[in-house]
Amino acid sequence: MRADAVRGHLDGLLLAVLEPGPLHGYAIIAAVQHRSRGALELRTGTIYPALNRLERLGLLSSSWQSSGERRRRCYELTDAGRHTLASERTAWSEFTTAIGSVLNPAAPPGFAT
Amino acid sequence: MSATSRQADPIEDYIAALTAALHGPARIKARMIEEIHDGLADTVEAHTREGMAYQRAAHQAVGEFGTLDELVPSCQRELTITQARHTARAVALTAPFLVACWYLAWTTDHDQPWQLPRTAQLLAVHLAGVASVAALLAAATLATTGTLARWLPIPHQLPLAVAWTGTTASVAMAVATLALATASVLATNWPLLAFAGALAAASHAVVAASARACRQCARLPAT
Repeated sequence: MRADAVRGHLDGLLLAVLEPGPLHGYAIIAAVQHRSRGALELRTGTIYPALNRLERLGLLSSSWQSSGERRRRCYELTDAGRHTLASERTAWSEFTTAIGSVLNPAAPPGFAT
Repeated sequence: MSATSRQADPIEDYIAALTAALHGPARIKARMIEEIHDGLADTVEAHTREGMAYQRAAHQAVGEFGTLDELVPSCQRELTITQARHTARAVALTAPFLVACWYLAWTTDHDQPWQLPRTAQLLAVHLAGVASVAALLAAATLATTGTLARWLPIPHQLPLAVAWTGTTASVAMAVATLALATASVLATNWPLLAFAGALAAASHAVVAASARACRQCARLPAT
């Protein structure tokens, strides 16, 4: 799937992979690619400004954590982030149902012969 | 110098170019660059674990990250909004000082045998008005670029508007400084007016520097 097709859904993807617990930038990218089985072509650099934006909006919180000799910034969902993720899931479900019913129309009731 | 040692590191080149292209609050920019550097280093590490040579792994990591043209506008947008919030915070915190300074001058004036000239009184009212409006706009900016931005899109021109609000407030603070310095020479209760003038000067220094940085950020392309 092309990067520009993913862009509009990036916030939801990031919130979803952070739902189980805190992750740092590279682990977030790996989680998105793992969950999509490599189908999503992310320009991985673009997740960093997106994470900063989600933190400014209060949907994520972050802190530096040591990992061996290195220090990494880890992000986790806030309560507002969990609420937004639930809304994103509902909106996505409604969207796919609507598009699916147009692309794959079921035989309308009463049309069956 | 051997050819090997002269060989450029694609990661360091990418980070250097990104650092040069981005402008914004130093601490936030440094944090963003450090995270991106870490992310690239992690990607290279993952590729080299699979047996890829460092140079090839580094080139591939940079390719996966996206070109600078793809990355810089979205990073700059965040830095510009953060700078606008810093400037708005500086105005919201210091502009009330300007109003307090003029209130001080006004109340002190009533106890003096001399009177501030009518022009100075009008100037005081106008400066206090400018400072109050600037403080209100700054407070509104802080609200709309924070939690409220979940529901309301941030107008593209908002950082520029904040930059010029800050610039206007800083000019008002400079005029207030001069007026209070002049008044303190004439007044018997000069230490109070001189203190108010120093406060206005300090506010001017803080707001002017922040507004200048905000004007610079707001002029840069961002998505």
